[in-house]
Amino acid sequence: MVSIRLDKVTKRFGKVVAVNNVDLEIEDGKLYVLLGPSGGGKTTTLYLIAGIYKPTSGRIYFNEKDVTDLTPAERNVGLVFQNYALYPHMKVYDNIAFPLRLRKEPKSKIDSKVHEVAKFLRIENLLDRYPHQLSGGQQQRVALARALVKEPSVLLLDEPLSNLDALLRVYIRAELKRMQQDLGITSVYVTHDQSEALAIADKIVVINKGVIQQEGTPEQIYENPRNVFVATFIGNPPMNIVKGTVLEDGTIETTGSRLTPPPAVLEKIKRLKLKNILMAFRPENAVVSEHPIEGRFSPMGDLFEVEPLGRDAVVTVTVGEFVIKVVMPTREAMQLRIGSKVYVNIDPSTIKYFDPNTELNLEYIEA
Amino acid sequence: MMPETTDVETINRRRMNLALGIVVLIASIPILVTYFILMASSFTNQMITGSMVGQLTFTLRNWILFFEGKLTVASAAVYSMWDILRYILNTFIVAFGVMLVTTALATMAGYACSRMKFRGRKFLIQLLILLHAFPGVSLIIAVYALYIFSKGPIPSQWWTLYAFIYVIVARAALEIPMDIWIMKGFFDKVPWEVEWSALIDGASRIKVWKDIILPLVKPGIAAVAIFSFIAGWGALIYVLVFLPPTEKTLATYIAGLLAGGSLEVVHLPVVAAAGTLYLLPTLIFFSFVRRYMLQTSLSGIKG
Repeated sequence: MVSIRLDKVTKRFGKVVAVNNVDLEIEDGKLYVLLGPSGGGKTTTLYLIAGIYKPTSGRIYFNEKDVTDLTPAERNVGLVFQNYALYPHMKVYDNIAFPLRLRKEPKSKIDSKVHEVAKFLRIENLLDRYPHQLSGGQQQRVALARALVKEPSVLLLDEPLSNLDALLRVYIRAELKRMQQDLGITSVYVTHDQSEALAIADKIVVINKGVIQQEGTPEQIYENPRNVFVATFIGNPPMNIVKGTVLEDGTIETTGSRLTPPPAVLEKIKRLKLKNILMAFRPENAVVSEHPIEGRFSPMGDLFEVEPLGRDAVVTVTVGEFVIKVVMPTREAMQLRIGSKVYVNIDPSTIKYFDPNTELNLEYIEA
Repeated sequence: MMPETTDVETINRRRMNLALGIVVLIASIPILVTYFILMASSFTNQMITGSMVGQLTFTLRNWILFFEGKLTVASAAVYSMWDILRYILNTFIVAFGVMLVTTALATMAGYACSRMKFRGRKFLIQLLILLHAFPGVSLIIAVYALYIFSKGPIPSQWWTLYAFIYVIVARAALEIPMDIWIMKGFFDKVPWEVEWSALIDGASRIKVWKDIILPLVKPGIAAVAIFSFIAGWGALIYVLVFLPPTEKTLATYIAGLLAGGSLEVVHLPVVAAAGTLYLLPTLIFFSFVRRYMLQTSLSGIKG
């Protein structure tokens, strides 16, 4: 199988730098998700791997082989486009057979391969139809079948689920993950949907402004974001950010409350001579209550709104200039009165500290 | 009785269609009647006019006279049957020639304008519309001058052939700007991803163009083909100017019958027969190509 390596890859479109000096190693057989906001350079990165775009500078390797100057066909990649890009004038069978016919494979072999992949994706009964006779989910499978039938060394997926309705999306992404594991094919998956990324990725690569913000397992990305961008991009709702002032005695003050950071954090604050600090915590790591809870960091604020989402509710509290969102059980949240004074009780061990100048997580700064 | 309630925003579809149908019918009555009189007259002993409907009889005589090259029952043949057949053939040559040249060039240029980056692309695209606005007649002196200059080095026995080629190319040149514009529009609608997809599947550029892109712009090709065919079929001035007087097309033949006072001499139903014949291919060709014009399927590509 194949591992992919991007070596200092840059892609410019005129004056716009879409991908900026990216180094990335994609392990063999793993599902990598390129995650980021639209216009962040993730699709460009995917097209660079596919060979649709040539890098302005830098090299791309499949295993140890330099593929930078190879055509998409020579790289043997399967690519599923966001809009599926099926050939509308061909039946499903011919769509899937198209890459094989171009390789001049014998008819009987083409036939057996098409049926094999169609059976695998459960679209055998659709082979005689035209794309416009299929539902979105079916078209998506056909696109996947066409990508897989040539037994590509790499499977590339560009927002493959974004044109499906919400329910189908959750269903198919589980199938995709299962399929990828069964085939053990090296895959790169582009999405802007962080929950999709967390759900299916072996590794997530967060890309913004053409630069890799963080690379890691979904757990690493979620639990310990490398910078403020990742912290505020991942999670639903994402991390809350509160700005604090570092006092002489080594405590941090924000909106009238004080917190003593862990010694390791304090040491870095001192060494970096930080006067201010950004503190971030996940909405599920805090509880809103009418009274402060012992052992928690509990700034006070006004209860702005409660949005019940079934089991959990999103509780919005304004603390000074900051808007904080907390996820807590609906039953408890409904006890609270809108507009009343409440405490946001944050578990201090879950708080992440960021340098306000570089927006980097202090844990990622070398001591 | 309760008044019937309807949704405010909904127009009654069936009534709307009926109303539209009636309006279109009324508006087309003058055209339909004219064509009907023309076609029917070619099968009657005299031109159909209101006063003599009772005296009309069915006859094929007009068609026979027309193909014999006679203009009236009594007169001797002005043209031979071979002349007439040759005029018909000439018309087809010019029409298909213009169609082939126009469709081929417009399809290729339309692809280039839609897909390729080159200097002055934007300017060229704007120029296309301007070029289309130029009436062909206004160019005729320059085009004629060019014809005379370019004819010089060619041996005189090839001049007739050269005249045909020149008419076809010159007439096509008038059609091409607009048709490039039309084709560009169709190519613009084909998403890049479809091309990329085929390239990734291992197709060559030519193969992508031939097997993937062209089938998707078939309606555009059909539209351009029919427009240019009709333009070539009806070409009058360029044919009159460039083809030698002995080589007529149906358009110039009919124009000739009606010009120069011969209108009083010819038997009008014979002209009606010529006119009907002149209409026929356009109708047949149109009904043949129409189904391609109406089928646009770009589904299977969500965007």
